Amino acid sequence: MARFAWVALITLAAIGALALFITTPPAEGASLIHVAIGGEKLLTVGSFEVTNSMVGAVLASLLLLAAAWYISRRSALIPHRLQSLLELPVEWVAGIVEGSTSRWRGYVALVIGLFLMILVANWIGLLPGVGTIGLKETVDGHEVVVPIVRPAAADLNFTLGLAIITFVVFVWWGVRINGPVGYLKELVGEPRYMAPLMLPIHLISELSRLVSLSMRLFGNVFAGEVLIATMLALTTATFFVLPFALFVPAIFLGLELLFGAVQAIVFALLTMTYITMAIAEHDGGHEPEQERREDHPESDTHSAASPA
Amino acid sequence: MDSNLAAGLAMIGAIGPGIGLGIGFSKAMEALGRNPEAAGAIFVPYILGLALTEAIGIYCLVVSLILIFAGG
Repeated sequence: MARFAWVALITLAAIGALALFITTPPAEGASLIHVAIGGEKLLTVGSFEVTNSMVGAVLASLLLLAAAWYISRRSALIPHRLQSLLELPVEWVAGIVEGSTSRWRGYVALVIGLFLMILVANWIGLLPGVGTIGLKETVDGHEVVVPIVRPAAADLNFTLGLAIITFVVFVWWGVRINGPVGYLKELVGEPRYMAPLMLPIHLISELSRLVSLSMRLFGNVFAGEVLIATMLALTTATFFVLPFALFVPAIFLGLELLFGAVQAIVFALLTMTYITMAIAEHDGGHEPEQERREDHPESDTHSAASPA
Repeated sequence: MDSNLAAGLAMIGAIGPGIGLGIGFSKAMEALGRNPEAAGAIFVPYILGLALTEAIGIYCLVVSLILIFAGG
């Protein structure tokens, strides 16, 4: 343990000495940090622009595909260490979704998929080199580094895409369970004469789920990016005075590890809750529902809250 | 310059969700203290409630980020 501490200290000192040579104070007038609000264009294939957040998303997909390929090839009844590590999040989310409705098998794959995709995409952003290694480009007169990989959720296109998938799925479940007429009745509201007032309110509340889902994930991840960039810029600026200030961004990296997981859970659980609400909105006691409940008596408890 | 000031003012709106998150968290801890076995049942509604409260703060953040990065 003591030897490990020495190795860590020497490595840190070497990195610090290297940083002394590499760090150049920013030019007069240039801002300390450069963070773009959207993805930045890396290359153009025909009329198709490849942005760095696309690279992040594809990287996360490839990682998940590799894990899925591995686990489907090498899975055993008695799991070895890596297999149980990969199965842990899947089983955990499946256990939560199982308690939501009796039809949980219809949407459990979507919830797990959203959770894993967002989790991996968020944690890719914390790897060293992501957001710092990039191509030099000239924007507005001064040179900036356009990172090659950008965490996918720090781009509104990615989060909005996921939110649209969720939106389509929960509207589809509502139409499927209640029928098109039942779904429209649900939108119109209970006292029919209040329809001119209630219909726009219900429509807006359905659409605001789309906005809030996408904005929440984007805001959290992008704010985390800005926070870490700011902390790194501040500590490299004060590096000559306080050499051990490099520990400060490490604290925030740990926090971002937690927030990335929490936001993945939140997105997946909100998806589950919206589908649960769409399913349970109208059935007082349909016949097939009753039959299925007898098949799964333990899945009767609704563990999900009903958000506004 | 004006848009930076506006971005700072927009973040005043984060006060409300901050209070709300504190209330939600304290109530969840109270419930956990009264009934520690209910930790699993509390977890999902707790996370959802915090997420929905936090969304309002995130709206402020998004507005101020748009003002900083995309505003005039």
